[in-house]
Amino acid sequence: MQEITGLAPSGSLGSGFNIEAFKRGLSLGPHFIGQDAGSTDMGPYYHGTGRPFLPLATYRHDLAIMLRAARAAKIPLVIGSALTSGCDESLATATGIIRDIAREHGLSFRMAVIGAEIGKPDLKRRMAAAPLESIGPEGALTPEVVDRCGPIVAQMGIEPFVKAIDAGAEVIIAGRACDDAVFAALPVLRGFDQGLALHCGKILECAGLSAIPYDLGEPMLGTIGRDAFVVEPGNAAHRCTTVSVAGHSLYERGDFEFQPGPGGVNDLSGTSFEQMDERRVRVRGSRFVADAVYKVKLEAAEQLGFRSIVMVGIRDPIMIRELDPLLEETRERAEARFGMRAEGIHLRFRAYGRDAVMGPLEPGGAPPREIGLMIEAVAPAQELATGVAMYSRGHLQHASYPGILTTAGNMAYPFSPFGIPVGPAYRFAVYHLMPLQDPCEIFPMTIEEVRN
Amino acid sequence: MAPLSNQGETLDRIAKVIRSKNAGPFEITFDVMFDDAAAYRRVKDSGVIEPTRIAAAYRIPLADILVCKPFDAALAFKITIRRPVSSGDLMDNDVYGCQQHVPLTGILVPAVS
Repeated sequence: MQEITGLAPSGSLGSGFNIEAFKRGLSLGPHFIGQDAGSTDMGPYYHGTGRPFLPLATYRHDLAIMLRAARAAKIPLVIGSALTSGCDESLATATGIIRDIAREHGLSFRMAVIGAEIGKPDLKRRMAAAPLESIGPEGALTPEVVDRCGPIVAQMGIEPFVKAIDAGAEVIIAGRACDDAVFAALPVLRGFDQGLALHCGKILECAGLSAIPYDLGEPMLGTIGRDAFVVEPGNAAHRCTTVSVAGHSLYERGDFEFQPGPGGVNDLSGTSFEQMDERRVRVRGSRFVADAVYKVKLEAAEQLGFRSIVMVGIRDPIMIRELDPLLEETRERAEARFGMRAEGIHLRFRAYGRDAVMGPLEPGGAPPREIGLMIEAVAPAQELATGVAMYSRGHLQHASYPGILTTAGNMAYPFSPFGIPVGPAYRFAVYHLMPLQDPCEIFPMTIEEVRN
Repeated sequence: MAPLSNQGETLDRIAKVIRSKNAGPFEITFDVMFDDAAAYRRVKDSGVIEPTRIAAAYRIPLADILVCKPFDAALAFKITIRRPVSSGDLMDNDVYGCQQHVPLTGILVPAVS
């Protein structure tokens, strides 16, 4: 085998993709279809609850197209981080969707399902044996934090995927996985360079985000050869440039030269990008350097309470001028009424139009014409959170301030009801490295013969 | 307002892309990218993209600048800072971290003499 081609339908499962460009990609004879289906990017809620980011119908829509195409072409379909957090419950949901689609369309195949959730007792035993290195949260990871967390997942590397392909799987669906591993596993198994395969995977996992025009819903192809890989968009009207591909090599990575992942670091310090023709870019020189100890990244979010919000608009320039003392007064009233921090209650005012987006990083500017004020409470119970947010709203609505003209009410409401229970609130509390003896030891694989 | 041309130009007048994004939930990374090698070279040679200036633009400690370096192959600069709070935590404002780039846009690049 001189080269191997992967096709990435979209940068995010469930977001849809350009079907015509996908068909064109298929016509070029890819050896596999890869799809990333999860991330920490949408914040801690999805890891905390284990719930998928999108409605299930959107995943079903995208998976049906990919699965039918993969079976028609008799090439493997590889899916990682299903769905969103890649915990066991969301993986089971995704697996159920695949079974449903197979039944509906009369498809038969061997399916590998690879779990990525680590049991809390197992994790506690490992923590007790050797403390885990934090790559984010401050303070040590304790059993108490672990107990407050939702499902705890580990990002698998290429090895569990390789094992699944070796077992003859035609469809592989995995829990939390390193995005690039989804695309790198088959090339590495076939003997291609791991540094090139991982870098190519990094480009493919976001699909058309590395092309011009950039679009997450545009399919992308990557072909790995002996000493280089080539990327091109599925869409014949789109193109890759050295700048778009090199630029994407930086995307969401803290450093371009050293991109750490399961088992090692991908070193891009010697990488070069070459414009092959108008639409294709050739990449050379990316180099995987294995770590002495194989480590995986653990992720989980702990529950902080329940969140409720009230969203209002303020137009009066005098109130906008007097807003900060008014918010301070409101906070004091709420403190007297509810006890706040001592009771595990957090109250925040987000002044959209002023500094809600950047907070302490905001460089400042002219006073805004209007402010969208979000009153946000997080409390140990949902009703209490709504109570705190609504109490604060009630005070602000009729509070007096110097120079007030509008004594009939201070704030505009976009709709009724005012108080919105948002649900449980989380924060990322586990973002740690854990050493493994065997890269597959915490990623159990089951093989299932799907027959229809 | 853009400063007078004899004082140079702000970065947003020269760069093609100035963006921010999470690099995991505990870091925000910035990419300043150019579509023209001469423009990239001008900014690189000026030396204005360096840690103390970034720390000052964001009013954060120098120690929170984790990476700040040019990447010739991409005509780009990579800057990564520690997040003031992790993505989606109580005091966070930007879960994706994708709207934190504005202080970079005003960095002054001296006129070429």
